[in-house]
Amino acid sequence: MTSKIEKEDLSRRNFIFGSIAAAGLTVAPGVMLYQTANARDLSKAASSKVRWGMLIDTSRDVDWNKCVEACVKEHGLGNEEHSRPDQRTQYIRVVEVKNKSTGYSMSLPVMCQHCEQPPCVDVCPTGASMKREDGIVLVDRHRCIGCRYCMMACPYKARSFVHETLTDQSTTTPRGKGCVESCNMCVNRVDNGQLPACVEASEGAIVFGNLNDPESDISKLLAKHGGKQIRADLKLNPGVQYQGI
Amino acid sequence: MWLQLNINFSFSSLLKESMHKLPLSVVGLALMASFTTVNAEVEQHDLGPRIEIPESSGNSCVLPEDEMRRRHPDLLKHDRILTLREGIREKTDGHNLDGSLKQCINCHAIKDDNNNYVRIDNDRHFCVSCHKYAAVTIDCFQCHRDIPEGSSNFHALSGHKNTDFTSITPGSYGLTVQDMANIAPEVSSDDK
Repeated sequence: MTSKIEKEDLSRRNFIFGSIAAAGLTVAPGVMLYQTANARDLSKAASSKVRWGMLIDTSRDVDWNKCVEACVKEHGLGNEEHSRPDQRTQYIRVVEVKNKSTGYSMSLPVMCQHCEQPPCVDVCPTGASMKREDGIVLVDRHRCIGCRYCMMACPYKARSFVHETLTDQSTTTPRGKGCVESCNMCVNRVDNGQLPACVEASEGAIVFGNLNDPESDISKLLAKHGGKQIRADLKLNPGVQYQGI
Repeated sequence: MWLQLNINFSFSSLLKESMHKLPLSVVGLALMASFTTVNAEVEQHDLGPRIEIPESSGNSCVLPEDEMRRRHPDLLKHDRILTLREGIREKTDGHNLDGSLKQCINCHAIKDDNNNYVRIDNDRHFCVSCHKYAAVTIDCFQCHRDIPEGSSNFHALSGHKNTDFTSITPGSYGLTVQDMANIAPEVSSDDK
């Protein structure tokens, strides 16, 4: 019996080391890095070996509204006709912060922080609020009953509720009345090897990548300069991190 | 119709007489005979509304037609869990999953006389054409796009933004059901 367990452990270890070696080979040239980081076999389930994350450099002089515009365009947002502006769906908000004593002010984009321990998932009574294996937090609208507990639970105020009948949704982002929704890290684009829309529009101020891969750009930047999480005291370990806050 | 009534009349008079004179088996025979005659004479289109199933633009569906009619809800429900919750978007051969609503719409979208795709509020929409007949009210298209991506944005609920509804008096002759849908889409969205 003991020998059998040893055997299994050995083969598992071999498997892990073997896969690391293979990844190392493909990662070596820079171009390959991009492809390895993004290409995924879409016939297989998303894997927890990957954890997608973003690093947002707020010290860069970037108009964050461009990211919001790109987001709105990608997901077909803004087609509410009757809702008040504060009711309309926002996947990204540009938050202005000001230190009253010094007068220093800055702005930063805040979207779903894709927590490792998402409170929205904890409170959801139907299992609609979910974290995919690769760390992307999503709303399964097939199960969402629109109770809005997740909106209450989210410390980042990242979720919105659709109050009215919608038409002309984007094919890639189905969304409708009675459901809660939030930034899905452009899961459709990520699965197809593209960058999220806001990352593309950010002129390099947002870096997207695999937090579990020490060779990825985002991991290297985090290792070198560090990153800050908003409300890190809550120990939710968000996948979205910031520099310059 | 006239024929049917006539037969029914003779059948009932026969029934009255037979109560006294004929044994029950003969009554049964007469009853069967009368129904056979009716069925033979009534045309198919008299039996109720018929479903006009629109042609699709694709070469072949993911399953034979009779299986699709029965199993398409299962396919859609199964694959939506795979795609959303697990991230499986393709079959191993790289093709779309069987239950891809996007692909359904791409092949089965119907165009109207003005060459615009018909939306879900139109009886000619592929899904509606059957679902209305079968009294199925399923809300896929409250969230999902009902026509192919990139196609016309016309929609009955949002296409009349410039209409001056203040000039329309509710209850007046000119106000149609569609007008009400435009004014208050929330109210009428469930009973189209």
